[in-house]
Amino acid sequence: MRTASQSPATGAGCEPGFRGVICVSFATTDALQDHDTGGMPRHDLRFAAATPEAIANLRSVLGHSRVGVRVVLAGPPADVHAAASVAAECGLVDEEMTLVCDEVGPRVIFCGHCHTSTTTDHPIGTNVDCQGCGTTLIFTDHFSRRVGGYLGFSAHAEEAA
Amino acid sequence: MTGTALQNKAKPLLDGTLQLEVTSVSAQTDSITSITFGGALGELLPSYVPGSHLVVQYGTGANAYSLTGSGSAPTEYSISVLRIENGAGGSLAMHALCVGDLVQVSHPRSAFAPAATASHHLLIAAGIGITPVLSHARYAAEWGASASLIYVHRPGTGAHVAEARQLLGPGLTECLDRSSFQEVLTRQLTTQQLGTHLYVCGPNAFMDSVLKQARDLGWPKSLLHSEAFSGAALDDGEPFEVRLARSKVTLNVPAGVSLLGTLENAGLTVPNMCRKGICGECAVPVLRGEPLHRDLYLTDQEKDDNTTMMCCVSRSLGQELELDL
Amino acid sequence: MSTVINEAVRDADVLPERIKHFPFPFSGDIYRYSANVEPSRKEVSTEAGAWGGRLLHIDEHYLAELKDRDEVLERDPSRLQVLPHMRPAVWDAICTLLPALAEEYPDTVSFTREGDLCRWRNSLQNLDVEFTVGDDSSLPMGPLRFLGSQIQDDLVFLDHRQDALWLDAGVVTFAADWSVGFDVGMKFLEVHHPVPRVKEEKIVSRAEQFLMRLQPGEQYRRTNWTLTIDRRLDTSTETYPNWAHDRMTIADDPALPDRLHLRVEIQHMIRLPHSGAVLFMIRSYLLPLRDIARVPVWRQNMGRVLAELPDDMAEYKGIIHYRKAASDWLLSA
Repeated sequence: MRTASQSPATGAGCEPGFRGVICVSFATTDALQDHDTGGMPRHDLRFAAATPEAIANLRSVLGHSRVGVRVVLAGPPADVHAAASVAAECGLVDEEMTLVCDEVGPRVIFCGHCHTSTTTDHPIGTNVDCQGCGTTLIFTDHFSRRVGGYLGFSAHAEEAA
Repeated sequence: MTGTALQNKAKPLLDGTLQLEVTSVSAQTDSITSITFGGALGELLPSYVPGSHLVVQYGTGANAYSLTGSGSAPTEYSISVLRIENGAGGSLAMHALCVGDLVQVSHPRSAFAPAATASHHLLIAAGIGITPVLSHARYAAEWGASASLIYVHRPGTGAHVAEARQLLGPGLTECLDRSSFQEVLTRQLTTQQLGTHLYVCGPNAFMDSVLKQARDLGWPKSLLHSEAFSGAALDDGEPFEVRLARSKVTLNVPAGVSLLGTLENAGLTVPNMCRKGICGECAVPVLRGEPLHRDLYLTDQEKDDNTTMMCCVSRSLGQELELDL
Repeated sequence: MSTVINEAVRDADVLPERIKHFPFPFSGDIYRYSANVEPSRKEVSTEAGAWGGRLLHIDEHYLAELKDRDEVLERDPSRLQVLPHMRPAVWDAICTLLPALAEEYPDTVSFTREGDLCRWRNSLQNLDVEFTVGDDSSLPMGPLRFLGSQIQDDLVFLDHRQDALWLDAGVVTFAADWSVGFDVGMKFLEVHHPVPRVKEEKIVSRAEQFLMRLQPGEQYRRTNWTLTIDRRLDTSTETYPNWAHDRMTIADDPALPDRLHLRVEIQHMIRLPHSGAVLFMIRSYLLPLRDIARVPVWRQNMGRVLAELPDDMAEYKGIIHYRKAASDWLLSA
């Protein structure tokens, strides 16, 4: 069933009007190798990461797809969440999307103070420095599907002089 | 003219009802008549969500009818009613209304709302099912939202055809027979951009068929919306027993008699309005047993919880139900 | 005994407006989360006066709070969020709330509408504007910012779809420790994810079911509370680094009774009639402990509530470091 392998960071457009299963794999995941599409045609996309180019590519594929399509996203949480946010923006609802996140791997922390997103390998509940304002953030399990990340807020604000 | 959307100026007679005057009556077709209600002073009536219905009282009964306007700051409420010769009498009572008659109506109630996030609204109507989707089409036109309509009607019997053509232009596909409809439907169900929502209104068998085909073609449930239009009768159902825990009595609910009717016959007062499972007034708490939910009011989750049921239309899956009454 | 009562009554007569209309939230000595929803516009009598007779309330802070909101929005535009599909809901709120305010304050503001053309006059702001419903450019600052410049409430819009409510728009400049910029686009249940206890007690899902049942024209309200140091309305996540430190030092500050405020939110919930969106309005009132203590029953109730509150709730409300100091002061005063 699987279509010819894709070279990394490319996603050849599928046929216009596609209503099968779009399997999107990020980084090195092989979680979708044996994904059961229930007999529906399958279109594979593989990206090294959810870069702006990859996201534009996904948008274009979704723009050519039609209601009836299903999207499966697999890989590191940061990439899967970014792609899921874009898919939702393109009109996909929860029933049309399946997320297969790696158990470990980078996640996005949204700074509650300056709104910069920082990607980190640290686990939930630990600290990370915001790439925008430099504040040391405590990284909570409060998740936004639109942002594709978790809320972080100043870990030491109460102690600060 | 001062708008007061929160508190309506039309004089409420009972809690939640308005007394309005028939301001115009016009024949759409041989069997469909449009009736317009307004306040005595032509004042602004409460706005409503597109696809809303109005419960209109007649004699001892009440029927729900879809409003055909967009719902934006209306001074009139318009419905279109198909005459059903051997129905419960509501449609005949509506057809007998004359300009100047006073009627009691509910506030508009929303149970078939457009999805704000839709990238496109695919409207599908058969016969008198045009009424709520016409409301949707007007709203889409007002806000510049993308919409198209497949309208199935027999030649010469379609209501609101001219308005539909004007509102939707090339977005309207009229089907005058079943086979051409099937062809159009299959094509449209397989060519919609992502984020399209489908809305269907018409006879039950028609809606069931459209919804089943959509699901078979991979449409997720949350993109599908349907409105059971008035006149669709539910079957008589199986008889069952209902135990009233607080009153400590057990009643038999025969086939063809509603639980609400049974409770009323036993002397209980249960608030109710539409008696069609739409308005939500007659909710009763369930202590034991599994209701056969047939209403359009409760959410799927509430139906699964089995702690509340609408006693006007819902019955029992098992032989016995226990209520907290 | 009778002397004490007489003194209390005499004191109530001379209490300032800010105390008389304050929505004191405690009716006993114990507080727990609950859905505590009731029909709005029903006046509630308190030991000091009454509150709640109106949907919208213009008080002595009207101009100051609206100036505060405007400054917050100039500094941080992310406090105003409108996902594109919520435009009709925002206009619906304008056409609902402005007439409601005009009905409650006919001598102060007026609203007229002819078709889609509206005229709004506000004598407190020397304002006389005309705008067209649905035409965003007819209100230069944009429709939601304009609405936020006329009423003191923060506004949150919930879209009803897929058997859930989604927080898809809002103007929230006076948040009690949350971020509308982060929460926008979330489901109602996701918004409330950080609140302790409510998941186990199903309070949020019951509240959501309740809100999804709201029919146009129905209005309900509830209250919520926390403590805020100084008269600071903007206690958002965004500004947390500016005010969090006070939480560690207030307990030892001799100015605690004047700096520490009971913050009460009156939250109104209405179904907008045309768009079908649920509008959640949050009006925040702040009253310093010194004012609370002028009403003996309030002093005692609040002192005991703070002493009894379980640690997890005190932690979530951000008051764990100083609730004992506040309680001690109230109960010893």
